[in-house]
Amino acid sequence: MTDHRAGLWRRLTEPKSLDRMAPLPALLTYAALIAWSVVVLFPLYWLLITSFKLPVQVNDGPDYLPFLDFQPSLHAWEYLFVTVGSDTLRPYVNSLVVALASTVLATLIGSLAAYALVRVRYRVKLGAVLAFLLILAGVVVGVLRFGIDWRVALAAGTALMLLVLLTLAPRLRTAVGNEDIQFWIISNRILPPVVVVLPIYMMFQRLGLLDTHVALIATYTAVNLPIVVWLMRDFFASIPVDLEESAQLDGASRFGIVFTIVLPLARAGLAATFLLVLILAWNEYLLALFLSTADAQTMPLLVAAQNATRGPQWWTMSALILIMIAPVIALTALLQRAIARGLIVGAVKG
Amino acid sequence: MPAVSVKLEHLYKSFADIHVVKGLDLEIAEGEFLVLLGPSGCGKTTALRMIAGLETVSDGRILIGGQDVTHVLPKYRNIAMVFQSYALYPHMTVAENIGYPLRVRRVPAAERAVQVREAAAKVDLLDHLERTPRQLSGGQRQRVALARAIVRRPAVFLMDEPLSNLDAKLRGRMRAELKHLQQSLGVTTVYVTHDQIEAMTLGHRVAVMHAGILQQIGPPAEIYNDPANLFVAGFIGSPPMNVIAGRLRAGRFDSPAGSVAVPGMADRDGVILGVRPEDVAVVPAGQGDFAATVYSVEMTGLESIVTCAAHTGTHLAEADGVRPDPGDGQIVARMGRDFAAETDGRVGLRLTPDRLYLFDAADGRRLRA
Repeated sequence: MTDHRAGLWRRLTEPKSLDRMAPLPALLTYAALIAWSVVVLFPLYWLLITSFKLPVQVNDGPDYLPFLDFQPSLHAWEYLFVTVGSDTLRPYVNSLVVALASTVLATLIGSLAAYALVRVRYRVKLGAVLAFLLILAGVVVGVLRFGIDWRVALAAGTALMLLVLLTLAPRLRTAVGNEDIQFWIISNRILPPVVVVLPIYMMFQRLGLLDTHVALIATYTAVNLPIVVWLMRDFFASIPVDLEESAQLDGASRFGIVFTIVLPLARAGLAATFLLVLILAWNEYLLALFLSTADAQTMPLLVAAQNATRGPQWWTMSALILIMIAPVIALTALLQRAIARGLIVGAVKG
Repeated sequence: MPAVSVKLEHLYKSFADIHVVKGLDLEIAEGEFLVLLGPSGCGKTTALRMIAGLETVSDGRILIGGQDVTHVLPKYRNIAMVFQSYALYPHMTVAENIGYPLRVRRVPAAERAVQVREAAAKVDLLDHLERTPRQLSGGQRQRVALARAIVRRPAVFLMDEPLSNLDAKLRGRMRAELKHLQQSLGVTTVYVTHDQIEAMTLGHRVAVMHAGILQQIGPPAEIYNDPANLFVAGFIGSPPMNVIAGRLRAGRFDSPAGSVAVPGMADRDGVILGVRPEDVAVVPAGQGDFAATVYSVEMTGLESIVTCAAHTGTHLAEADGVRPDPGDGQIVARMGRDFAAETDGRVGLRLTPDRLYLFDAADGRRLRA
């Protein structure tokens, strides 16, 4: 019975070649696919035509077909790129700089962390971690509350920590393993960003870094690191250890192995992760809202700003969204090939 | 690079509470081809990985060329290893794979190309240098792994079951190539396998391991003809040695199935008699040393493997069996290819007198006159 059902399930779900289908099922399949494509693509179409409409055409709406229902106009595009040209380009460049820089950093640092979690076995003593936090808190309180010179406090704290490591730590039994470290990293992402946005705001305010690229890049890198670690860990784990051991015997150093063997083989995963993190950084709104005001303002803020006191400016908003999704689509198309090719290269067995 | 010796001194390895290698002492001479042979889980691969430096040593020392390398990183041991999976880098061409050890040692590209071609020529790969491992057959991948191992002229070769992923026909050919290559290069080689044919044909000496302990070490012929204990006797040989439980009385080995003279042995109980299939002859009923019935006759083309039911006794059925399974009672004889007998027909079995081995049934130790 179960076997029979499994067979039916497989027959229903296995991919079929459209070329070899009978005419009627093929027709129905095409009809369904086209119907769904319309559902998916219509919002994009609507954006496109709305960006060429005049306010009056939007408000009198709905007009569907350019040249038939309404006469397209470059009004919104002219406004964005001629009337307020620099106010459009600055956020665009900001978004490019912040998203690319933070994605490159997060992917690089996160990949190295993920690799270490897969290939290096950690046994950090829980007591040592707690002692570190305790001593750190003591140093901070000592400096801020009791006015101890920070150099003295730091030296005392370091000495105390060394003492703990040399005497107490070897006797402690409970240790933090790779799984725990990994969970801790991912747990950072469980926290809703809105909870931490105010402390982050205060930190950058103190540092005088509000409304700068540095603030956004640092924050985005930190926020996206857990995702990179989480995704890349699986890609690294699927690379046979034999390859790395062989490279080790061939004379390569650990970093040499990572850069000549591991990263090239994880290229598909790297590309996919890079793309995902880039999209997250590109579309991020909440943190940007707090950390940037004018100079470092990013595209999502500019798009949101079109819903202003004068009411929603649908035409300029549509144009902005179109130029905002263009680079992501281009990059996806570019990386798509790397992802597909990478998967094939990785599939060598024996 | 002149050949170097490898010496393992009282080597131990434990993973948590599991002891995998227990006090291994081995001395491998310059240019020697030593085979570590044993069933899976006997610690042979762990021992090899300790020589490579991929596994830390729990206790003991490893010396390569007289130098203590126990705590030296793998890359400084001047060792090349061929993995069971070949461990070819899938994103590199054959030439890049072979040249990788040179690349990480910063050998200039021009010199590297010359050496890669030289190594590739030795394993007959010159026509495939620009392919990727994916485009190669199993035997060719094996050759790439070998070329990568020889390209930088290491002091020692380590091979971890390098032929086990090949089909039977190719395995035979690669075995011959491997032997030829090792002899022409004269590099000290440690070769791990569970395949006794590979061990017997390749090794200058064979070291048989079981449960983390070295059982016997010697030239293949010695391992075969003069096994040190029941484990080695049962592990080497195909079909395996017959074992019959019984006792020694007045210079004869007695068992319910029959009796055979073993001159010079003192009386004792709990004895196992071992005899190889080629030293058992099937004779007409009433003759020979044992009475039996024919269970099956398998003609292999070269010979007939005759399995007989000896009414009682024991037989080592599986090569990796630690103790013979008592009560099996089958005795296998190796006869000529034109041997014919009826199934269930009564026959006698004659054992070659000076080819009998006696073991202590309790600990498997060889009993000698």
